Amino acid sequence: MTFVEYKMLNPFQRFAYNFKKVLKSIPKSVGRFFVGIGKAIVKFFTGIGKGFKNYGTTFAKGDWATKLSYLIFGVGDLHKGKYYKGILFFITEVLYILYITLFGWQYISKFGTLGTVQTSMQKVNGIPKQVFGDNSMLILLYSVLTIVITVVVFAIYIANIKDAYKHQVMRENGEKPTSLRHDVKEFLDGKYHITLLSFPVLMIAVFNILPLIFMILIAFTNYDKQHMPPGTLFTWVGMDNFGSLFNLVEGAKKGKTFIELTGWTLLWAVLATFTNYILGMIVALMINKKGIKFKGLWRTLFVIAIAVPQFVSLLLMNQMLQVNGAINVLLTDISHLFGGTETIEIQFLNSTTFMARATVVIVNIWVGIPYTILSMSGILMNIPEDLYESARIDGATPVKTFTAITLPYMIFVTTPQLITTFVGNINNFNVIYLLTGGGPTTQDYYQAGRTDILVTWLFKLSMDTQDYGLAAAIGILVFIVCATISLIVYNNSKSMKDEEAFS
Amino acid sequence: MKKILAILLAGMMTATVFAGCGGGGNTESGGSGSDTQSSSDDGGAEVKDANLVDVSVFGDEDNISLKVWAPDKAVSLVKEQIEAFKAAYPEKTFTKIEVVAQGEGDAGTQLMNDASTAADVFSFASDQLNKLVDAKVIAPVAFAKAVTDMNSEACVTAGTLQDTLYAYPETNDNGYYLVYDKTVVSDEQAGKLEDVLAACKEAGKKFIFNCGNGFYGCTFAFTAGVKIDGLEEDGVTQKFTDYDEAEAVKTLQAFSKLMHEYKGTFTSLDNAQVASGFSTGTLGAGVDGSWNTNADQDALKDNFGAAKLPTINVDGTDKQLISLFGYKYIGVNAASQFPAAAQVLAYYLAGETCQQQRAEKLGWGPSNKNVQGMDVVTKSAVQQAIKQQSENACVQVNIAPTFWDPMGNLGNKLVADDTDPDDAAYFSKLLKDTVANVRDEG
Amino acid sequence: MIKSYKFRRRIANFFIYLLLAILGIIWVSPFVYLVMHSFRAESMTTVPYLIPHEWTFDNYIKLFTSAGSSSINFPRWFINTFVVAIFSCIISTISVLAVSYTFSRLRFGARKKLMNVAMILGMFPGFMTMIAIYYLLKAMGLNQNLIALVICYSSGAGLGFQISKGFFDTIPRALDEAATIDGATRNQIFWKIILPMSKPIVVYTVLTSFIGPWCDFILAKIIMGDKRELYTVAIGLQSMVSAEFINEYYKQFLAGSVMVAIPITTLFLIMQRYYVEGVTAGGVKG
Repeated sequence: MTFVEYKMLNPFQRFAYNFKKVLKSIPKSVGRFFVGIGKAIVKFFTGIGKGFKNYGTTFAKGDWATKLSYLIFGVGDLHKGKYYKGILFFITEVLYILYITLFGWQYISKFGTLGTVQTSMQKVNGIPKQVFGDNSMLILLYSVLTIVITVVVFAIYIANIKDAYKHQVMRENGEKPTSLRHDVKEFLDGKYHITLLSFPVLMIAVFNILPLIFMILIAFTNYDKQHMPPGTLFTWVGMDNFGSLFNLVEGAKKGKTFIELTGWTLLWAVLATFTNYILGMIVALMINKKGIKFKGLWRTLFVIAIAVPQFVSLLLMNQMLQVNGAINVLLTDISHLFGGTETIEIQFLNSTTFMARATVVIVNIWVGIPYTILSMSGILMNIPEDLYESARIDGATPVKTFTAITLPYMIFVTTPQLITTFVGNINNFNVIYLLTGGGPTTQDYYQAGRTDILVTWLFKLSMDTQDYGLAAAIGILVFIVCATISLIVYNNSKSMKDEEAFS
Repeated sequence: MKKILAILLAGMMTATVFAGCGGGGNTESGGSGSDTQSSSDDGGAEVKDANLVDVSVFGDEDNISLKVWAPDKAVSLVKEQIEAFKAAYPEKTFTKIEVVAQGEGDAGTQLMNDASTAADVFSFASDQLNKLVDAKVIAPVAFAKAVTDMNSEACVTAGTLQDTLYAYPETNDNGYYLVYDKTVVSDEQAGKLEDVLAACKEAGKKFIFNCGNGFYGCTFAFTAGVKIDGLEEDGVTQKFTDYDEAEAVKTLQAFSKLMHEYKGTFTSLDNAQVASGFSTGTLGAGVDGSWNTNADQDALKDNFGAAKLPTINVDGTDKQLISLFGYKYIGVNAASQFPAAAQVLAYYLAGETCQQQRAEKLGWGPSNKNVQGMDVVTKSAVQQAIKQQSENACVQVNIAPTFWDPMGNLGNKLVADDTDPDDAAYFSKLLKDTVANVRDEG
Repeated sequence: MIKSYKFRRRIANFFIYLLLAILGIIWVSPFVYLVMHSFRAESMTTVPYLIPHEWTFDNYIKLFTSAGSSSINFPRWFINTFVVAIFSCIISTISVLAVSYTFSRLRFGARKKLMNVAMILGMFPGFMTMIAIYYLLKAMGLNQNLIALVICYSSGAGLGFQISKGFFDTIPRALDEAATIDGATRNQIFWKIILPMSKPIVVYTVLTSFIGPWCDFILAKIIMGDKRELYTVAIGLQSMVSAEFINEYYKQFLAGSVMVAIPITTLFLIMQRYYVEGVTAGGVKG
């Protein structure tokens, strides 16, 4: 299709055309994504190989101080007069050795078995006393901590060698090492990214990545109600947990639950995202329409709804939706106004699957629209006025202006947000857990109800029935789906490609 | 003054325990300390009376610091009791005994999250016992023989796993019973579920039974003849006794039929709605737990009626509703820094004096046989209702974690609008699925 | 012709006002219900009618005075949450701004990779990581401590950089370049040029991170355990509607919820304009 042909299409056709183009490009971007991952892995290993080679050659070429740096951190730097760095390297090594001997080793040495000594009971003077054995959970957690620390220290070790060699070469060339003052200045300018990122990255590494690795590893263990530390040990079981999720034999409840909940989770994410998006856009358009007064007031009305903590408003909603709750009371009162005599008692949350799911989606609209309105309002205000100006000169009707300018602009601008919301809804715990608790209940699922999505099921499995291994496996699968979707979309999105557009 | 009082009380209790236990306890009168090392293998360490043990049990523990978990309502009373406890052992220094509010319902979960910051001595509900024992975070009772002798058999049996008594019985009242408004339901009508519902319907009031909660929903299964019998060898799979399927299905159908017949009257709502329902006058009767008794009494005042659960008519015979019934225990944290002191304190708090005080001040049903015979218990309608119901109940101990969800589902399905009470095949499948799900089969 | 057009627009506007009014009522009514029933005198939990029969301030009075007689200590919880919110919002804001400025303005090798990793890290359903976080904090001696909460709420903040990065992307590069020519370092550019222009996004970040601590009732509970005096309002309110307390405390729970809603609503209303600007500018590029 040529540009002229494209220009001749009406907005809907254009939208359809673009939509088709996006759909068509999906296989390609998915392919590119996996090829990208493959390339990254290859690069990683060749990098390691190269690293080993450098490691050897540097040692061969190094003077005594550089060579000693292979054993004692910082010697090279100290010898070349780069004192503060040398001292820092050395302190790192000392701290690491202290950490391993005092804390790390007792855990990492049991990493392979996750502990062998069972907890037992002794009686002293007739008073029973527990003698605690190994705690698999702590062994796993602190092993992960030790591994992460070791990786970091290894990186510092390599940096120490490189630095030693660098300064050796500099001395051979008659150069002096840079001063502390100069280096500090460099960290505020050329290497400013390191300064800015170090604190957030440290926090994220300790409190996000480390627990994450821990949880991923749990998925390969039999940590469940029969293997609960500190009383009993758990150990590695390979892919068993994934196996039971994909066990689709007739009568295998966990597999069935997993498959059906996945279906509902995706349906829910789509429904929740698009209802909020479309309805939010409509309300935002109404508020921001020219000639509508009290824009602030209208927005405020919606904002009040999100000022109450979500768990409070959802709990309240839950009570209002009971058979004797406010909604039924209100409906009864209204029906009485029109001459009805019956008491209305609709079971919103606990009767049919359809009713409960519809209720959840509708309440989610109530919860979510205020956010959509806020962001949409801003975007609407931001649409360049000259676009409308020229449309008016061309004699376009309001409908035409909307479909030709407002709508495409909004869709273009909010696509990334839409994806974030979609992923957010896959993980939307609060609305479902607090509103229905997963109900209506059913005997067809393992520990889940008809409105349970994967995260709420995961929560119940870990909190109520202590199936930690299974829960972790579900967590990994949810993560893979979300991560793949968002990586593909982001890396193909206009905003990512046009990153430098304004610069 | 308090100290003197406590010692006096302790003395009095020494006397009563002899009478009560028929010489079952240690008959040596305290103080000599000569018998310190003797401890029988099965009965555990020896005790002085129904509240106290010989000070030698402490061993070399001194400068003792302990933490106690008690439910919020009991905190101030437990604090008083601990003052008396300290006074009773003047030889020992107690650096600190702190009482922290912690509900009995999730004390076990809290303990298992991190035993080292948890309480040394804690109150908990019986359903958590096997979880605690499996995780080995609870220490067995050191004075097993004395505790066994003093408390009602059912409590002790329920607290015993693998032939070891793991916790000190504290109450004998953790169950639910029928609460009714005497102006709506007469004492006589309270005996039959059909009559209760008819009376409520006639008065235009509701009847609440929290079917969707497994704790209450299992009543239907139990009444139908499906009983649980502890756990299988693996320690997590629920064991069921054999049941007559035809009879069970008929009972479930009878329940469902009644619920559908009284649609609009019979409502399945959270228990938090019971007291409120009485106070707004919309409720005629309801099934409520002993922990809500005070609220229900406040709401109904003089019209408060309590009875065991009613019967249901299945094919002409009246069948007693069988409930889940639990106990509250006092446990000792296996990770306690002062294991002996913790045991002694638990023994004291679960002892006769403390149980009597709780019965008088908090209205808790005691597990101690002597206290059970006291006026405060025998003259209380609630206590009698609970006691009668406890005779028609499954014991809430050794419950698999997978028990609650399927049982709640069973209740939900009986009351659901789209369930057809005449469809026997449906109920047969429902029952089978429920049992299979509790056992985590497939 | 013109008249009829105007007339039509008036009709259209009338319907829009009507619709907005109806929607407004629907959205506000749960809040109104909450406020009304927080002043209710009779009954215990819910009641089968909409408007309370008797009104009282008792629920509020009890909420602030019952601390001594039970473990429900709302004033203390309120202060705890406030302190935690303030500190975690300061740290979060610094992290977010640092990360998003870095990714928007500075170019270095691992940039794209780091951005991708950061984006997906937040997508892991984190319930099981909580117990790991607890034991890590414990190893640092921070369990059952308000500092732990500050750390938890602000540690992941850097991952939410997208919106403010989008905002920074819209600030013209020419400004940076001019400053560089004048000899400014990147540090100076960040503090003296970019930050002063970023009021909306700072406000947006402050708002979102301030609200977090008022709503979390799962992680905070695991970290605090039995230390009830260190609870935040969210755990506290949650515990007030647990089976143990609900009959006695339900109405105080409603009053407490209103008390929590007040600061958040006020903040929102004051900063609404910036919020809208921030989320928009960020969203356009984010």
